[in-house]
Formats: sequence, C-alpha cells, structure tokens
Amino acid sequence: MLEAQTVAIFIVAGLVCAAILSSLLSFRIGSPLLLVFLVVGLAAGEDGFGLVVFNDAGTAYLIGSIALSVILFDSGYATRFRSYRAAGVPAVVLATAGVLLTAGLTGTAAKFLFNVGWLEGMLLGTILASTDAAAVFFLLRVGGVTIRERIRSLLEIESGTNDPMAIFLTLTLVELIAAGAGIETLSAGLLGRFAWAMLGGALIGAAGGWLILVAVNRIQFDKPLYPLIVLSLAVTVFAMASIVEASGFLATYIAGLIAGNMRMRYSQALEDFQSGVTWFCQIAMFLTLGLLATPSEFPAVFAGALAIAAFLIFFARPLAVWICLSLFRFSPADMTFVSWVGLRGAVSILLGIIPLVGGIGDGQSYFNIAFIVVLLSLAIQGWSIGPVARWLGLLVPPIKGPVDRIQLELPTASRHELVTYKIAPDSPVALGARMPRWARPSLVIRDGASMSARRAGRLKEGDSIYIFVTPRQVQLLDKLFARPVPEDEFTSTFFGDFILKPDARMGDVAPLYDFSVSEEEAELSAEEFLLRRLPQPLDMGDRTTIGTVDLIVRALNEEGTRVLEVGISVQPMRPSLETMPLPLPASVRKVLLKAIGSMRSGMREE
Amino acid sequence: MDLQDLVIPEGVIAHLKVTSKKQALQELAAKAAQVTELDERKIFETLLERERLGSTGVGQGIAIPHGKLASLDKLHGLFARLDHPIDFDSVDEKPVDLIFLLLAPESAGADHLKALARISRLLRNQKMVEKLRATENNEALYALLTEPSASATSVA
Repeated sequence: MLEAQTVAIFIVAGLVCAAILSSLLSFRIGSPLLLVFLVVGLAAGEDGFGLVVFNDAGTAYLIGSIALSVILFDSGYATRFRSYRAAGVPAVVLATAGVLLTAGLTGTAAKFLFNVGWLEGMLLGTILASTDAAAVFFLLRVGGVTIRERIRSLLEIESGTNDPMAIFLTLTLVELIAAGAGIETLSAGLLGRFAWAMLGGALIGAAGGWLILVAVNRIQFDKPLYPLIVLSLAVTVFAMASIVEASGFLATYIAGLIAGNMRMRYSQALEDFQSGVTWFCQIAMFLTLGLLATPSEFPAVFAGALAIAAFLIFFARPLAVWICLSLFRFSPADMTFVSWVGLRGAVSILLGIIPLVGGIGDGQSYFNIAFIVVLLSLAIQGWSIGPVARWLGLLVPPIKGPVDRIQLELPTASRHELVTYKIAPDSPVALGARMPRWARPSLVIRDGASMSARRAGRLKEGDSIYIFVTPRQVQLLDKLFARPVPEDEFTSTFFGDFILKPDARMGDVAPLYDFSVSEEEAELSAEEFLLRRLPQPLDMGDRTTIGTVDLIVRALNEEGTRVLEVGISVQPMRPSLETMPLPLPASVRKVLLKAIGSMRSGMREE
Repeated sequence: MDLQDLVIPEGVIAHLKVTSKKQALQELAAKAAQVTELDERKIFETLLERERLGSTGVGQGIAIPHGKLASLDKLHGLFARLDHPIDFDSVDEKPVDLIFLLLAPESAGADHLKALARISRLLRNQKMVEKLRATENNEALYALLTEPSASATSVA
C-alpha cells in the first residue's frame, strides 16, 4: 500500500518535471507550451505509455476548476487598468455578445453536422465559445515580440472575461438537457439567473479584492505568509461566489484585477510567487486533461471535430469579431488578427467535462470533440501568431535596446525603490548625455571600487550605478542607460521613413507627398489631423492612410491624448497574398497566386 | 527605380567640408543648381521649408533632405559624404555625416515617393552605410550607389 503511494508520487512529480523540462524544447521549436503539456499528459495516459490510468471526470473537473480560478485571478492581477482604458469596452462586447454569436454560429453548425437537437448543438457551441486566457496571455508575451498595445489589451481582457459567460451558458445547457427539457424552456427566469451570476460575481470579486488589500497592507503576518494569504483568499472568493450561484470565475478575475492594480506591500514577492503558482496550475490542468482523454476514441469523431474546428476558426470567430468590432474603430488588419487569436484552450476542455459530470448520455463525445478542436486551435493558431502579427504589421519594433537593470524592492511600503544599472556602451549617458537632477546616483561602482557620485564625476561605460527612484521614473532612466536600437527596415516600415513635427500644417505637407486634403483639413496641424482620424487613447504606431502614404503616431504622451512626433511612410507595406505566411513551398504558392490572379482578372472582364 | 536615373557622377561629393546644417544645405543647393541649372536660392529655400515641417535627419547619422520645384524637368539626386559630422536636429540627436538630397518636379507623383522610399531603404541598410562611410572618392561612391546589387533589394 505504502509502496504504491510512493510510486504514485514518483509518477506525478515526474510528470510535472517532464512538463517543465519540455518547455525548453518548446521555446526552441516555437510551439505553444500548453500544447506540449497536453501532449505530455496524453503520452503518459492510458493510450500512451499507460503510466497513469485516470478516468475520474469529477476529480479532473475539480482540479481544473481550482487551477482555472487561480489562472483567472492571475490574469486579472496582470491586467492593468490602463489596458481597460485602451480597449475595455470593445473587449467586454467581444466577451459577451461575441461569445453568444460564436456559440450560436458554432452550435448551429454542430446541430446539422452531427445531426443532434438544438440544445445539444448549442451545448457544443458554448463549450467551444470562449478563448483561453492562459494560452492568449502566454503566446502574446513570449518570444520577445510585442504586439501593439490596443490589440494586446483587447485580447487579454477578452480572454480573461469571456470564460464566465461560456461557463454559465454551458452549465445552464447541461442542466436543461439532463432534465430532458427542450429549447422552449429557455425563459425569462434564465435572464435573471444570468444577471445575478454576473453582477453577484463582480460584487463578490470586488469585495474579495478589497479584502486582499486589507490583508496585505494592514495586517502583520510573518513575511512568507503574504503570498499564501493572497492565493487562499482568491480561491475562497471563487468558492464563495460559486456557492451563492454567482460566477466564481468572474469573481476571482475581478478580485485579481483590483488587487493587481493597487499599491501593495511586497509586490515583487507576491508577483514571483503568483507566477510560479500560475505556471503550476497550468501544468496541473493541462496534464490532468491530457491524462483524462482517451485518444483511441478520437478517430470516431475526428472528421466532425475537424469540420467544426475549421468552421470555428475560419467562419464563426471571424464573423463574430467583425460584427462586434465594427461598432468601434478598428482597422481590417486589427480585426483579422483578433479573429486569428481566438485560441481555444484548457477552458474548452474543462467545459467539455461538464456534460460527463452532468450525466448526459453522450458526454464523452463532447469531451473528445472539444479536445480535438483545442489541439487543432493551439497547433494552427498558436504556432502562427508571430508570423501573422508580422504580416499584418501589428508587431511593435523595440524602441530601446537591451538594458542591464536590476530593481530591488525596499522592505517598507515606500514609494521608492533601489535600481541598479550598468552603463551600456553607446547609451546616451556613455555618450555624454546630461543626467536629470533627480537621477543622481547614490553610489557608483567603477572598476570594482565604490564611490560617491560626486567623486565619480562623469559616468563612463561599464560603471554600475545605484539609484533611488519611483517606479515611474525607471522608464525614463532606461532611455538614458539603454543601448540604442539600430533602425532597420522593420522599424522604418512601422514608424515611417520621415518625421514631421506635430504642428506641421497639413496644407504644407500634402503637396510634398502627393496627396490632397480638403480646404478645411489643410488648416489642421498633423497632430489635429491624426487625432481626428484615429481612435483615442492613441497607441504607438497608430496609422492612417492618405493618398498613397501613411501618417503614423511615432511618439505620444503617457495618456495617449497628444502626438509628439508624426512619422510618414512613403511606401507603406500592405499585407498581401504574396506576403501571407502560408506553410507552402514557393512553387505551390506561385501557382496559387497565378490562379487567384487570373480569377480576379476574369471577374473584371465580366 | 534605379538610383542611376537619379544621380549623375557629378552629383556625388566624397568630401563635403561644412560646419552646420544651414551651410550643408547651402552647399548642396549650390551643387544642385549646377546640375539642374535652376536658381540656387530657390532650391535652398525649398529645402528649408521642408526642414521646418520636421528635420529630415532620419537617425544613425543620415539625412535625406528633399523638396519639390515647379520648374524642374525630372528627379535629381545628390549624395554627399561629410568630412566632419554636423548637428542636423535628427530624431536620435546623432550628428549627420551622410546626406542624400532629392529634388522632384511638381508633377512627379508616384515616382517621387518611390524614389524616396528607395533611398530611405538603401540608407537603412547597415552594410551599405558602412561601405559608403569607408569610401573616399567620388567615382567609387557613385559606383557603390548605383551598383545593381544595391538596386536588387528594391521594392516595386
């Protein structure tokens, strides 16, 4: 008995180790890490090496729910209010109306494809309707690529807030089907329950967030206990909301959002602990789901799942996105990208368990279909996010080079922190730029000897400096100490070939670059012109096309309300079929383009 | 768009000795006046007008002053390598030592923008820029600017 337990511990711990080690491989081949975790789970499971035979859907749902509540807490914690200012409203529309649309479209397709009833079809639709926060967050942040802020904010908020909606819909549908009810029982009572789930979830979450703040900032615990109290409060909030039939997932997200945006003591320690725990939860959830699956049953539903995945990826999600986002000012490139980043992940598989737990006759097929769709989505969309973003011109080139900086948090809840920089060669400071008065280092280390700033005099390349600043000032310091980024073709396509002052008169600019403006527009400054054409708050790299050139926001103030530098791109690159990132050999691509070209000219002749 | 169509051998200056942005534009305007047979003053003023909208110093020691002149017959380019870098109010505040000047007729349309894009891309190519900095005589500079491989990367 005891021996069996140690073997079990060995296997489980070993699996977690294997999953973590496989992340190394994943970074090398650029595959989505979560896909790797799922595969490790599948490999260890009954149809793989058979290390673990795990068929307990109830336990899997329990593990998944707890893990998801922690993951959602963390995604709220990592989302800045600033992101909400940039894209809050469109994101919430996507997370609510968008989920309904996606679920409805996919559900309709499923009804006819699998020849089931409306409720059963819709159930599959809602299972697949939400995008996965973990997958989206992860893929938007790794690989050193930076996606434009408005789009990143939109996707992150959407993925964090659409799970509660999808979960509510799935639970409701499972209940209805299990009770043998038909679609006509969807009544006004449901609306009331929905309102309470969302409102109650938000309220309990807000209260929970406040409680976390109080616990961390007011109560004296032993220091290592702070991260633990935050985490346990987050899960408590989740459970409490669920008990009163409000949305627990929404509650924990909101609690995280509030806690993450307020000043808290030990914030660095909290963040480190939290990201560790979140990683662990993702691994645990994906491994569990991988173990639960029985791949030998997949072939039976594979063709149908493939069709549903294709419908979802290429039709339902894009259509829902275009309908929702056309209410706001987004460019076609933006909407295409948002459509493509409709990554399905653990949430969909987790929701796929609900029919199993809820005792619906054919529960297993929902789970299997969801599993296959998620695998396909992670593989196809997850793998191609980078190239697609590049193709659509949504990647932001680095505006500053690498900087050698270490931030040390001070033990008390002071506003300042201690930052150390190593002066990079070619950085503005090494080249003799003046230091602002507030940025006088407290200590300089040169050639292994420490000295006061006064004794050190002018800073040199290779010096290390210690300086007390507020976190806000760190960004300004980075500019002084970072190595400059060489301008290359990528930067010039993004920021433009030339620079205009924000007060340049459009009437003077227009004839130079061969575009025409109305008499009224001619009197506007370039800044006024951009403000009139672009959604606010502005984002770095926002652009508007006029004639054949693009005017670009090259630099802007912190709030995104003023343009400080205007770029002009004289021959902007547009996403085209020729440059589309398709995994096709050049010869096939040529033939394809030729075919499309002749089709187009044929249509023109008619 | 080949640079050969824009620049003539006489339009390349390997050692321009100037101490300020104004002086550089004046010298280049004088040279452009010789090549185009237009009024030097008028060219200078056209260039200054463009600088007032924002410096054409695009960073990394490079400037691409440009402008339009009604009486011009075709696109004209000049290239100058400066003996001593000068302050040009560039975006990155780095002193400028390579200048490509482009003048276009009022009606140049798409050709003008294509030429600007071509020059802008050429001078963002690190290898090209290094070679231009290391080349000390007019003929070699001209050959470098108009060599086919430099045009091979051309778009459109």
